[in-house]
Amino acid sequence: MTGATTGDDGPIYLDYAASTPLDPAVAAGLAELLTATAGWANPSAGHAAGRRAMALVNAAAARLAALLNCDARQLVFTSGATESNNLAIQGAAAYRAARGRHLVTLRTEHRAVTDVFRALEKRGYDVTWLSPRPDGRLDPGALEAALRPDTQLVSAMHVNNETGVIQDIAAIGRLCHANGTLLHVDAAQSFGKLPIDLAALPVDFLSATAHKIYGPKGVGVLYVSGRAGAHVEPLMFGGGQQRGLRPGTLPAWLIAGFGLAAELAAGRMAADHARLGELQDRLWHGIRDLPGLRRNGSAEYGFPGILNVSAAGVEGESLLLDLEPLCVAAGSACNSRDRSPSGVLRALGLTDAEARSAIRFSFGRRTTLREIDIAARRYRDAVLRLRALSPAVLPPGPPPARESVG
Amino acid sequence: MSDPADPYGPEVRRLFRAPAHAGTLEAADRVRVEGQGVAVELCMLRAGPAIRQLRFLAWGCPHFIAAAEALCRDYEGRAVAELAGYSAVETVRTLPVPRGKTGRILVLEDAARALAGSAGITTPSKTGVPPP
Repeated sequence: MTGATTGDDGPIYLDYAASTPLDPAVAAGLAELLTATAGWANPSAGHAAGRRAMALVNAAAARLAALLNCDARQLVFTSGATESNNLAIQGAAAYRAARGRHLVTLRTEHRAVTDVFRALEKRGYDVTWLSPRPDGRLDPGALEAALRPDTQLVSAMHVNNETGVIQDIAAIGRLCHANGTLLHVDAAQSFGKLPIDLAALPVDFLSATAHKIYGPKGVGVLYVSGRAGAHVEPLMFGGGQQRGLRPGTLPAWLIAGFGLAAELAAGRMAADHARLGELQDRLWHGIRDLPGLRRNGSAEYGFPGILNVSAAGVEGESLLLDLEPLCVAAGSACNSRDRSPSGVLRALGLTDAEARSAIRFSFGRRTTLREIDIAARRYRDAVLRLRALSPAVLPPGPPPARESVG
Repeated sequence: MSDPADPYGPEVRRLFRAPAHAGTLEAADRVRVEGQGVAVELCMLRAGPAIRQLRFLAWGCPHFIAAAEALCRDYEGRAVAELAGYSAVETVRTLPVPRGKTGRILVLEDAARALAGSAGITTPSKTGVPPP
């Protein structure tokens, strides 16, 4: 398989924030490991085959640790970022419940975080839901005001999956630690794409996954700091693997693929970042003069791999169908059939109608400038066609494209 | 080969992509109805008791736009009185439209009946009892 085609009528994949294709080198490595002893043997077994599998796991952990500048022993392998988020949030909340039951998060977190906090609310925890500024960034003063003596955990994502907005994790972490509160960071969208130095950052838990960095699906990781290590309860029991925090037989071949993807990401990070910026600029400049267009989330503090826009007078589901064969996301990327307006965009102050018309374009290593040009043309054509079909009247003299600014 | 996971189906896609009856008409009977997260404007030119031209403008999901196009296509050339008998339930069945979107197609039914009413046609009572 060669991925999305680049013809005018073929599918054009612009949904890299949802998932990425396997890097060819990772695919080749995985294929080899499927039948290799080290790939299928149980890494917990003490015999030679098991030791070879464990060597693969350890090598992968070292590669991930190098990317995060942490100790490999601080990494716990999981099935993906959703499990990592659950383990950190539920595990820390449970362990520290005797000290206090107050938790803090943002309304703009991924559902793999917000749904965990909602579940904890049902179990009697007191959750403070912070709204970001209109540009998507958290006001540190709002966090400072929300922290209480009994606040046990704050969860804040590094790069927002819908808007690409980058939070100031260092500032958030300093406030948390000054209060004796643990910080969890969902880094599913930033791991391997932005520099993360856990030796310097005041972060206690960090979630990441392989399939956002051209690695395999089904494997993720949770970083647990030395400070937080004794402050988390496991979600599952049996086997005692990974110091009992996440038992179960480790999939050595998937973990090895994750490690290779991380190493490749580290080597390409600067080049990938520059390329994504070029792609994002090209798309934005190709559509920005459409009347009534809004760019959602801070451009200044945005990850260049994501561009989220709303068009006034356009219904989102129809826009999505009209954009075919572009593979883009509307609403929540993880559940694009749920047509309720995006909670993330509503938290940024968008109206229901604006949120419903939002489209997320996300780019990756295989995206070409030609695909971007086709996407810009198709987006313009679709917006204009649907507006021509609509009885809705745009506000007189619709403003030029605007960007969310705080 | 059709995609079993496709939420639209070929007929909805065809009508949505090429709505031949989208637009508006000058000096025509005109109604606009909103609700259920959709809006539609229907306008009609008459030739005696018959519908000479029927056009729509719609804001809503692909099913709603396709249903509006199907309505205009199907009723152009027919008697205005027949427009009052337009059935959302029938449209939901034939296009087809997911059951969860029936309310949106009922907005179209309201618009069709209001348009017939604007031409002096009374909506037939479903119970057989003449309306007061």
